[in-house]
Amino acid sequence: MSRRKPARVLPRAFLALHLLLVAVPILVMVMWSFTASWPWPSLIPEAFSLKGYAEVFGGANGAAVLAQSVGIALATAVLTTTVAALGSRALARYHFRGKELFRFATVLPFLIPTTVFAMGVQVVFLKMGFARTVGGVILAHSIVALPYAVTIMADVTAAAGGRLEEAARSLGARPLQNLVHVILPQLAPGILSSISMSYILSFSQYFLTLLIGGGMVKTFALEMFPYLTGGDRTIASAYGVVFLVVTFAVFLLVEWALKKFGFRAGQDLFNLQ
Amino acid sequence: MEIRLDGISLDLGGKHILDNVSFAVRDGEFLSLLGQSGAGKSTTLKVIAGLLYQDAGAVFFDGQQVDEVPTHRRQTAIVFQDIRLFPNMDVAANVAFPLKMQGVKKAERMAVAEEMLERVQLAGYGSRAVGELSGGQQQRVALARALAGRPRALLLDEPFSGLDEALRAEMRELVLELQAETGITSIMVTHDVSEALVMSDRIVYLSDGRVEQVAEPGELCLNPASPAVARAFGEAMVVEGEVSDGAFRCGKLRIPAPDAASGRAAFVRLSDGSHFVRGI
Repeated sequence: MSRRKPARVLPRAFLALHLLLVAVPILVMVMWSFTASWPWPSLIPEAFSLKGYAEVFGGANGAAVLAQSVGIALATAVLTTTVAALGSRALARYHFRGKELFRFATVLPFLIPTTVFAMGVQVVFLKMGFARTVGGVILAHSIVALPYAVTIMADVTAAAGGRLEEAARSLGARPLQNLVHVILPQLAPGILSSISMSYILSFSQYFLTLLIGGGMVKTFALEMFPYLTGGDRTIASAYGVVFLVVTFAVFLLVEWALKKFGFRAGQDLFNLQ
Repeated sequence: MEIRLDGISLDLGGKHILDNVSFAVRDGEFLSLLGQSGAGKSTTLKVIAGLLYQDAGAVFFDGQQVDEVPTHRRQTAIVFQDIRLFPNMDVAANVAFPLKMQGVKKAERMAVAEEMLERVQLAGYGSRAVGELSGGQQQRVALARALAGRPRALLLDEPFSGLDEALRAEMRELVLELQAETGITSIMVTHDVSEALVMSDRIVYLSDGRVEQVAEPGELCLNPASPAVARAFGEAMVVEGEVSDGAFRCGKLRIPAPDAASGRAAFVRLSDGSHFVRGI
């Protein structure tokens, strides 16, 4: 069978186009990050150097800022996903007054631009003493990430339903055992998506971090920004590459952890074979 | 374990689902809850398991009121119509699940799981993924899982209705065999009249959330106590079985037939209520 059906050619063409649009910019960025000079009209750089990476990791606190960024993003991801999972369960299972209002409130941050609510959040956080602290930044990031996490978790919670939980209870599972052995494994794909999404939103957050952190809380995105606007492509690209590698590494780690605890039986998010 | 329901009433969403339901299940008995869909059979089963809480009335296990006991401590394992195996565990882990919940050590619970799988004719299937099994095999795993933890009662909620006719007959036999072996008190929900007749020691007939009649299969079949029960047996029915010692037998159904010759026979009940046994 060598004749290809047109029905399969079209999806493949789209896939190829999609990969091209993602892969080519990444390739250019990786090349730029090692470039010493790349004058027009050369097709490839004339000279290479590691000065971009030296800039990223060098200095007094390069690695520390990266570590703090990953920490903030992970904390945001875990906090957001936990709150979203609990809220979704309340929406899926229980009847209570103001349920529809609550449902609407969970997606409210979607409707209000970050720049608008950031001002209000800053005022409140200043009064409460959260401003210019790492905790305050994590909380602010969580507000941005929550609607995404709730949307994802509400779907998987509704899809999971209560059937397996009922079965487990009748077989003698205590509430905590039910959570660990039956409920969490069912929600695992959603948890993974929610953690990944919240992580990205936090890790790439610039404006909110700047405003709430007040310059006291330094993150990777904050450090990177001047180079993007300032025009040093080599350093900006080096930041970009590190950004990408770290994000990928965290995703693989989360995937591995969920699998390690037996939470994922089905297909992988990233097929490593 | 003896189970007694005393005046159970339950409303769901403003509808009366159960209305003053009372009956008792004897220790080691196989009892069926028979009735049409919407009669409240599955709801009754969920009240016994503690998955639903009644508005009025009480449930007793061996004379002890259990209304305050949560489901996971009632030791009433359910086999569901839609099977409900855990997809994140292999077959052996599914069967061993109740033992894991009880804190039994891994080696021991895996040994029990292997033994249970043997008893449902699935020896060697332990390491398979649940999704690899056919519907009939999955339901046998569910049965093994329900019995593995040695529950005090086995609750079967239309366990065979998702299976085709040939598998159903096989599963009925297996369930009765295991029930006889273990002597476990069992309650089965079914809407299939002949299934209830041949499997049950006694049958509780439910209609619109009320108990219409509690009787042995033969009695229910020959002397329906109310129009609702009579309607359930209203259509003509043929059951194949055997005649011996002046009685027709098929499974647990026993109908006096003093005139019939011993051997293969069919019990025929016509829609006007008359019946006869004839050799085949």
